[in-house]
Amino acid sequence: MKPNTDNGVKHWRSMEAMQGREVPSAWQGEFPEGAFERDEGFARRNFMKLMGASFGLAGLGLLGVGCRRPEELIMPFGQQPENYIHGVPQYFASARPARTGAISIVVESNEGRPTKIEGNPEHPDSNGSTDMHTQASILDLYDPDRARGNHNKDKKTLTRDAALEELDKLIESGRTALLMGESTSPSRARILKQIGNKAQVFTYEPIDDDIHRRSATEAFGKDVRPYYRLDQASTILSLDCDFVGVEADTHRHIRDYAKGRKLNKGSTDMSRLYVVEPRMSQTGANADHRLRVKAGAVHGIASAIAVRLGIEGFDGKHLPKGVEAKWLDQCVVDLKKSGVVMTGQGQPLAVHVLAHAINQKIGAIGSGVQFLPAPNPGHGTIEDLAKASFDVLVILGGNPAYNAPSDIDWKNLVGGKTVVRLGYYDDESAVDADLFLAQTHFLEEWGDARTSDGTTVAVQPLIKPLFDGLSELEVLARIADEAKSANEIVQATVGRSGDSWKHFLHDGFDAGTKATPVKVGAVNLSAAKQAPEVKEGELEVIFARDSSVDDGSFANNGWCQELPDPITKITWDNAVLVSRVTAKKLGWSNGDVVKIGLDGRSVEGPVWIQPGQADETLALALGYGRDKGGRIANFDGKQVGFNAYKIRTSEAPGFVSVDSGKVGKAKGSHNFACTQDHWSMEGRAIVREANLEGDHGYQKHKDFAHHVGLDAPDHAKHTIDPKTGKPYPIYQHPYDAKPELKNQKVQWGMSIDLNSCVGCNACVIACQSENNIPIVGKDQVERGREMSWLRIDRYYTGFDHDPGAGDTDGDEAQAAEEWIDDPQVVNQPMLCQHCEAAPCELVCPVNATAHDDEGLNVMVYNRCIGTRYCSNNCAWKVRRFNYFDYNKRPLNALYKGPLASNEENDPTGWDLVKMAKNPEVTVRMRGVMEKCTYCVQRIEEAKIARKREASREYKDALAGGDEDIAVSTMVADGKIKTACQQVCSAEAIVFGNQADPKSEVSILKEQERDYTVLGFLDARPHTTYLAQVRNPNLEVPGPFEGYYHKPLSAQEYDAVAHGGDHHDENGHDDHKEDSHKGESKENH
Amino acid sequence: MGSAAKKPVYLVETPKELEREPLVANKRAPGWISDQIAAVIEGKTPRWWWIAFVISFLTAGMCFSMIGYLIVTGVGVWGLNQPVMWGWAIVNFVWWIGIGHAGTLISAILFLLRQKWRTSINRAAEAMTIFAVMCAGIFPAIHVGRIWFVWYPLPIPNANDIWPQFRSPLLWDVFAVSTYFTVSLLFWYMGLIPDLGTMRDRLRLQAEKIKEPFAKLINKVKQLLYGFFALGWTGSNRHWSNYEKAYLLLAGLSTPLVLSVHSIVSFDFAVSQLPGWHTTIFPPYFVAGAVFSGFGMVLTILIPMRKLCKMEEIITVRHIELMCKVTLATGSIVGYAYGMEFFIAWYGGSPYELYAFKNRAFGPYAWAYWIMVSCNVLTPQLFWFKKIRTNMVVVFILSIFVNIGMWFERFVIVVTSLHRDFMPSNWGYYSPTWVDILTYVGTMGFFMTLFLLFIRFLPLVAISEVKGVTPQADPHDKLGGAKDEGGTH
Repeated sequence: MKPNTDNGVKHWRSMEAMQGREVPSAWQGEFPEGAFERDEGFARRNFMKLMGASFGLAGLGLLGVGCRRPEELIMPFGQQPENYIHGVPQYFASARPARTGAISIVVESNEGRPTKIEGNPEHPDSNGSTDMHTQASILDLYDPDRARGNHNKDKKTLTRDAALEELDKLIESGRTALLMGESTSPSRARILKQIGNKAQVFTYEPIDDDIHRRSATEAFGKDVRPYYRLDQASTILSLDCDFVGVEADTHRHIRDYAKGRKLNKGSTDMSRLYVVEPRMSQTGANADHRLRVKAGAVHGIASAIAVRLGIEGFDGKHLPKGVEAKWLDQCVVDLKKSGVVMTGQGQPLAVHVLAHAINQKIGAIGSGVQFLPAPNPGHGTIEDLAKASFDVLVILGGNPAYNAPSDIDWKNLVGGKTVVRLGYYDDESAVDADLFLAQTHFLEEWGDARTSDGTTVAVQPLIKPLFDGLSELEVLARIADEAKSANEIVQATVGRSGDSWKHFLHDGFDAGTKATPVKVGAVNLSAAKQAPEVKEGELEVIFARDSSVDDGSFANNGWCQELPDPITKITWDNAVLVSRVTAKKLGWSNGDVVKIGLDGRSVEGPVWIQPGQADETLALALGYGRDKGGRIANFDGKQVGFNAYKIRTSEAPGFVSVDSGKVGKAKGSHNFACTQDHWSMEGRAIVREANLEGDHGYQKHKDFAHHVGLDAPDHAKHTIDPKTGKPYPIYQHPYDAKPELKNQKVQWGMSIDLNSCVGCNACVIACQSENNIPIVGKDQVERGREMSWLRIDRYYTGFDHDPGAGDTDGDEAQAAEEWIDDPQVVNQPMLCQHCEAAPCELVCPVNATAHDDEGLNVMVYNRCIGTRYCSNNCAWKVRRFNYFDYNKRPLNALYKGPLASNEENDPTGWDLVKMAKNPEVTVRMRGVMEKCTYCVQRIEEAKIARKREASREYKDALAGGDEDIAVSTMVADGKIKTACQQVCSAEAIVFGNQADPKSEVSILKEQERDYTVLGFLDARPHTTYLAQVRNPNLEVPGPFEGYYHKPLSAQEYDAVAHGGDHHDENGHDDHKEDSHKGESKENH
Repeated sequence: MGSAAKKPVYLVETPKELEREPLVANKRAPGWISDQIAAVIEGKTPRWWWIAFVISFLTAGMCFSMIGYLIVTGVGVWGLNQPVMWGWAIVNFVWWIGIGHAGTLISAILFLLRQKWRTSINRAAEAMTIFAVMCAGIFPAIHVGRIWFVWYPLPIPNANDIWPQFRSPLLWDVFAVSTYFTVSLLFWYMGLIPDLGTMRDRLRLQAEKIKEPFAKLINKVKQLLYGFFALGWTGSNRHWSNYEKAYLLLAGLSTPLVLSVHSIVSFDFAVSQLPGWHTTIFPPYFVAGAVFSGFGMVLTILIPMRKLCKMEEIITVRHIELMCKVTLATGSIVGYAYGMEFFIAWYGGSPYELYAFKNRAFGPYAWAYWIMVSCNVLTPQLFWFKKIRTNMVVVFILSIFVNIGMWFERFVIVVTSLHRDFMPSNWGYYSPTWVDILTYVGTMGFFMTLFLLFIRFLPLVAISEVKGVTPQADPHDKLGGAKDEGGTH
């Protein structure tokens, strides 16, 4: 066979082909006569099991069974491996290690290249969801800036073996110290024991999640750590704990929290969330009651609660200004009813211990919080390292040169020492290293870990290390003189081999290893009394984990950098967050660059006025301002954001008081790339809310969502067509033109529960990963050209906010308006609504966006010429336009057009990113409109699978003599999950066939809370929302009167629709069944 | 009867106060008219023409280099964003199309209404129409994301059996604008035929005096070209009879087009559901606005042109005054529409609609709105005063204000409606880039280049038609028939 030379490049299928002695029968024809043809159905889940099992059982002849063939080379197949079908993705169980709890995952692999990560639904402590960082980590694997191999001091590239030999030599040259991050890996713990006295071991994490273990150990005198079960609690008090945002194990906390907030199946009860915090966090945004106080004042609040519960030894009188005793009294009343208290990792140990005592007092231990055994690893801290004496420092992972506490002189610490660096990037900590080892991605290495419930999970590679890297375990094993490979070490740790090992890999976890809660005794309160000093009038600097780039480890991940912060909606930046009042006092406005000095060190950053922030606090997100971070972290040669680590010390990693004199305006101003400039909903009925209780509450008015907005019967009178009972449509309904469509058996639809959505952003990244959505760079985001198909709208609603009054001054003015001081926050995932009478379809001159028979509003990229009319006519503005060739040209040279270096020939390897693309989804070129497809590729995949399965069932039935068989080709409900649905820990997104009254989505849409955003346009979207219900305690005093009368968004709506004085008539007490005539409930 | 019967009084002369100003001043004779108009073509190229041409040509070149940059790089070089996906390109398109309204209105509707004063200005106005529509046509073509597929909206049968989407106003635009352009071009060309014949004949007469062989050759080439396009016009009775019938038919055909093209352009907005766009008032309001802006542009161009080309006696102050009156009328309609929009926004009861209009007048783009109002509503009101109407410098300046105002009207409609629509989370702000600005300025260069070429090579006033409305052409007039008082021949 001649090689294909059509494009001038010669391709051979194998070595044999190149040498001209190929046996053609191996590949000629996809299915040669009598060849293996799979006759199993390949529904996603079954398929994963099947593939995992068959790869394992096939036993490719070597011990290293798993998804990756044990041979070290990946080459084109000379012969088709059994059970491998070209173009059909394979799924393998693995885990993503994290500081305090791994996430059990299933990874999709296309042609040997991992492309998408999902949660492992088989894991007992998972519902198949993951978190945002797990979704984004796939992009790290293909980061063109990741370290491309090992090298010595002279930058001479070393092979794996040569590098390990060099490591041996360096280790032997003197006393060795190891510095590494935290890990839950049992194998690592075992190997570290094996190393014993050969090296001193130190761990450092800039985000100290270990404080939970330390505090529990301190409080109970036992080696335990807390494990929260928020679904068991009816009241949650968060003491500066952003458990749905930036704390550890968020995806699990979100799932448990959401369970308590669900109002489906006729439930009228839900949990209540109290939040005490300094900066507006994602958790605070979801709070029913939120108290904004300085971080240092949280201890005072906690001790006041402790006093109210009868815990002795606290005076509980040092309440910050503006905190009413009644608030705390009521909080205590609620906490006593199966409540639980959580403390943020940024709070000092004293608050944590106090919280344990409160939990014990209210009886939360065993229900809302359990204590699991957690042996103290007994490693030194980074401060210990600074005092230790050693000659060789091996830095495994992390990036201490960048993020070590500023009171540790890192340069001095490593000065004169031999440094070995195992790093994923050639970053700050790799500068001047005597030996640099390229670290593997977790999808390239063997390992193990524990999830937060203690279950052991397998980390197995899906691909050979792309750049000859080494895993942490491999390096440690070498230091420990362990001759076994990482694979063998893990096998030995988990004590499995043969089939049992294969089974473990197949499942991805060992169900028997789940930790059993231990009983704990009385709390030792001695550590709880060291209250931080809070001085009125002094500024407090808060160091926060960033929701996108974490501690900086995701700083070079484009998806994370471009992900809008869930609260500020700022991309590609961190900011000095400050309250309106404090900004006014200091004379700052948005974008001013300010200098913050602390102990002789200082940092400069731009100001962002943040609604709901406590006064006199400055919140700085960590993880930005990288010196050597790669082309995303240093986009266009500039630092993205500023480095708050510069002033963060080991004594005060969470927050610290600063001398107001050391804080002031610096030169210059800064532009933020914020994806949502306007904060207020302007009294529009876009997110619909009610309180649970009270006269206007959900319990009395389940259909409250239908009594706001222009589509409410009392507003819609003159817009309703008496003949149809529906609003007069602007556009012809496709079912009027083609009545046969109306009777289609399949109409895809989606229901989004605003009550359980916490706005965590995981769906945004999942969508990006599934649908090959490009990033566009800061400049383009600033111009409003971000590409995300799914965005999360965040609105602030305020008391006494007259919508429409200030909105004419432009969006800059809103940062100076008083209503933003204590806002309520609402989130709303916004994606293509898949309207039946879609406004976009009507105006496209070339039929590039059209309606399909299954109710999807489809986008035909090939046909699109890019008039952008569809986007203009989309009321939800969910369409995205490719203004440039974002997928083809470097993002910092978009304006150079064809003069920009073509990535195809770019030696720096932008094209590596292309490996992360989903082969099932078209990569769009410039000039083309795109938008959410409801993951049509997943729908089609499931449909094809079902049809094949049905045909087999039919054949089987015929063979069995049954001639009257009727086999349905309908895909079973729940088989298809959109990427956003699959990732959602809260299960807030449900997708399915709304033409089937029994499908989950139809049942949800039947709920009275179901409403359509902008329903009065009569476009009849297939994406509908379940209205939000807040659950405030009506006895709790709010920051202002009337706060709990109705949610503030509903009050804003009343102000616009009724002039604001309709608090009483507006309860819609005259609900009659027939008042629903106008509602478009029939749009399924 | 008898002697008591008084002798009837026959009014021999129109009373002074009822007498209309003649359409051609100074009782000029037909021959003078021919000479005067042809002189622009036949004379030496004036210095001002060269200066204007070089500037226009370079500006046009800039326009096309900007378009080249746009095509090779992407639409992102403009300031468009989410939510404002249409920006200057569409604003410019509507603006130029609007300008293109005056010509056909003057030549067709005023023809049907027997407005004889149209004859002095219709040729130039029609040329302006054609060039303006050409400028307009550039924008929808280049604003698409993938210009290499810009032919997709054409109903070309293809193997995939995919047709354009006939419900989309953009598609109606394609048909409306192309039809308008074709008919306008034909109408303009038809009107040119007798004059092309005149030019040919004049060249033939001049040829006898030319000795120099190269100049003779040039003369011959010109004769051939004019002759070719004159389609064998001899001025025979039958030619005139056919010509006038055809002219009438085309005028009848063009008249609805004048009304339809901008109605359809307005559908681009009115058919959408966007507050501020979705308005039934748009078709008449757009047509009035288009006529308003068209006359504005005719004034801007003709006032200097009549001076530079020495046409003051053919395009008289009376002509300018009449155009000012049309501007005043249409400007008032536009002003009324602005007010009515606000009333309906309030009366309609939709808070989204009301907000859109409040936002126009007081939102972040209020500056654009008030520029629009002052230029379009206040400026034309000055034309109530004869002193202003007859002061050419003032009229010229005011006509430029009309052009600016009408550009801002389109800007206000396109941008302010888009930048704050239904969902506040989408709200944004739009500003143009240097590419936007240079492309727009460039189209003016393109327009002027074409117009200058027109002035230089074609009779800028319809010679035969102007002659037709002179007193001499009227056999009942005392100057009619063979009587010749003022002329030189």
